[in-house]
Amino acid sequence: MIKVNHLKKSFGKNVVLKDLNEEVSQGEVVVVIGPSGSGKSTFLRCLNLLEEPTGGEIVFEGTTLTGLKEKEMNQLRQKMGMVFQQFNLFPHKTAKENLTIAPVKSKGVNQMEADNKAVKLLDQVGLGDKADAYPASLSGGQQQRVAIARALAMDPDVMLFDEPTSALDPEMVGEVLKVMKDLAKSGITMIVVTHEMGFAREVADRVLFMDDGYIVEQGTPENIFTQPAHERTQDFLAKVL
Amino acid sequence: MKKGIQGILLMILLWTGLFVSSDVVSAEDGSALKRVQDEGVLVVGTSADFPPFEFYAEVDGERQVVGMDMMIAQKIADDLGVELEIQDIGFDSLLPALEARNVDIVIAGMTPTAERRKSVDFSEIYFKTFQNIMVRAEDEEVYTSLESLKGLPIGVQSGSLQEGLAEQIEDAELMSLTNLSDLLLALKTNRIEAMVMQGPNAEAHAGNDEDLHTFVGAFEMEDDDAGSAVAFRQGEDSLVAAVNESLAEIAEQNLTDEYLAVAGEYMAQSEDSEAEESGFAANYWDYFWDGTSITLLISAVSVLVGLILGFILALMRLSKSLVLKGLATAYVEFVRGTPLLIQVMFIYFASGLVVNLPALAAGIIAVSLNSGAYIAEIIRGGINSVNKGQEEAARSLGMSKKEAMRHIIFPQAVKNIWPALGNEFITIIKESSIVSVIGVGELIFQTRVVRSISFQGILPLFVAMLIYFALTFTLTKLLNFYEGRMNHD
Ligand SMILES: Nc1ncnc2c1ncn2[C@@H]1O[C@H](COP(=O)(O)OP(=O)(O)OP(=O)(O)O)[C@@H](O)[C@H]1O
Ligand SMILES: [Mg+2]
Repeated sequence: MIKVNHLKKSFGKNVVLKDLNEEVSQGEVVVVIGPSGSGKSTFLRCLNLLEEPTGGEIVFEGTTLTGLKEKEMNQLRQKMGMVFQQFNLFPHKTAKENLTIAPVKSKGVNQMEADNKAVKLLDQVGLGDKADAYPASLSGGQQQRVAIARALAMDPDVMLFDEPTSALDPEMVGEVLKVMKDLAKSGITMIVVTHEMGFAREVADRVLFMDDGYIVEQGTPENIFTQPAHERTQDFLAKVL
Repeated sequence: MKKGIQGILLMILLWTGLFVSSDVVSAEDGSALKRVQDEGVLVVGTSADFPPFEFYAEVDGERQVVGMDMMIAQKIADDLGVELEIQDIGFDSLLPALEARNVDIVIAGMTPTAERRKSVDFSEIYFKTFQNIMVRAEDEEVYTSLESLKGLPIGVQSGSLQEGLAEQIEDAELMSLTNLSDLLLALKTNRIEAMVMQGPNAEAHAGNDEDLHTFVGAFEMEDDDAGSAVAFRQGEDSLVAAVNESLAEIAEQNLTDEYLAVAGEYMAQSEDSEAEESGFAANYWDYFWDGTSITLLISAVSVLVGLILGFILALMRLSKSLVLKGLATAYVEFVRGTPLLIQVMFIYFASGLVVNLPALAAGIIAVSLNSGAYIAEIIRGGINSVNKGQEEAARSLGMSKKEAMRHIIFPQAVKNIWPALGNEFITIIKESSIVSVIGVGELIFQTRVVRSISFQGILPLFVAMLIYFALTFTLTKLLNFYEGRMNHD
């Protein structure tokens, strides 16, 4: 479903992604781990073209994502939901409006339909009663659940998560992970950057270990966590586990 | 960005080129006279703070510029068979306004000095006059001659004949101000010891103010310097000839005496209304009210137009196109880097060469163009202050750049823009006073008028200050109220 060939990305002289090759298939849940600065966020952001790759190619559902026109790029992003570490909810909109604005304005869904769907999705993430609340009145965990529902409202084929629980107080991590686990069971393709090793072990089909702009090692959670092949993977796991 | 600046410089050069050539080109073939008669209006520029020659008074319940010069202007217009239109402009700006074709002729008790003759033509002298020294009444015995003023601080109106004459007072320290009311106030508050003033004007003031005393100064004068004449653009000989005919009739029939008598009645009338003791504010309320309305009009229109312009400029600056970005940046930097005063004068005088834009319109345009640049920066700052994550979130949902701007970023930016915009409005209310230099009757202008007709120096300033404060304070409170209502998080 997503194929990455020799992906490179640099910011000026700083080469962040050196040569990434990876293939994610339909329905797969892939967890990306690695030390800070290794390029995990940049990798995710390249996938939905928030960052423009400086080399290599990405093929998504048969379309090569280089040299796309602005309009094609927007349509493509509609199929890739993204959840950010800092939630990035729209503070001037209620929870429900956060979910409906993009479908109505960019996808041409009518308001009623979008509203109904929003209510359902908010229910699904356990926030049915917060539809009319503004983000500022919600806790971090609640905000992140709204953000997940917001991405789902566009009916994406893939969900990208960039450290969705890193900015949360510890007692709120669980509620967000639960929503993500339910989502994984529903069969949607997910790529998740996280430091939650428990989640990786339990939910991931595959774990990628990134370091210094490369995917150093990959395999099932079993393999990566119990018998990592590379020294750098071993070092990293020794620090975080 | 460099290109944009060059473009603007080029435009300025072109404009100034027009100024220069317009003086040279007008070869005379009777066209000047014909133009005035075809248009059916004679536009006369004056500076109405100079009783008994030109000043404001109530005529049939309406405020008008009256005085000897205005009656002469009326006679000239009648003789030409056209309507008369008076434009009241600051004395300093009269000749530029004439050259820039904002007015047809200038009648303002103006002395045809050699210096002025370099840039404009003059009629025959229509009024011979003498020059006075004005002192405080208590100094009547002390200062009796030019010699007695040796080495003292002396006040003169800047750009006036008197400024040159004052040089004849040995070692005098000259203080030049644009406004006669300011000079009189300086005299009364001991900042200067004496003033050089045109004779009848000095007598009018001394006659209305017991704190002042005046006497004729024994100045050495050229013949030309001893009178007033009408000023014309160079080369408009047919108009000069026609006006000289009217002036000759006036001289023959000694009409100036009659005119001065009428002017005296108007001056007495304004004293009478003062004598009613109905209080200063009540007497001059109309002036302040008019001034306040115009100040508010200029400010409100300028903020609105500035908002639209600023919005366009801000979008240009945020766009990807280097050309649009450069143009907008050049405009903003240029406007913010030059004084509003010059922009106002530039628009007014430069526009006079092309279309006859009323001073109020020119003033509003200048202030709008100016505020557009500042508002552009306010809007740009507001947009930039919205967290980068907001745009990313919107884009990640598949919204286009435009949709993200419109539905997500701009509504949030407005919250930052709003208070700054309010401040800009308040700034404009205060700064718009600058348009008084081109004769727009806003609050400062009307304050000047009240000062000259009431013979009061400080009180009108105080009233104007209170009005400005009332306006800005009310506005601040209003804006705070709406700002509070906008915050729902
Ligand atoms: N917009 C940018 N401009 C310049 N450099 C950037 C930019 N974004 C990221 N980088 C650099 O790229 C490198 C990788 O950053 P990235 O955010 O992808 O790492 P990460 O693996 O997600 O780390 P973390 O675990 O801290 O989130 C860092 O050195 C960072 O400074
Ligand atoms: Mg990161």
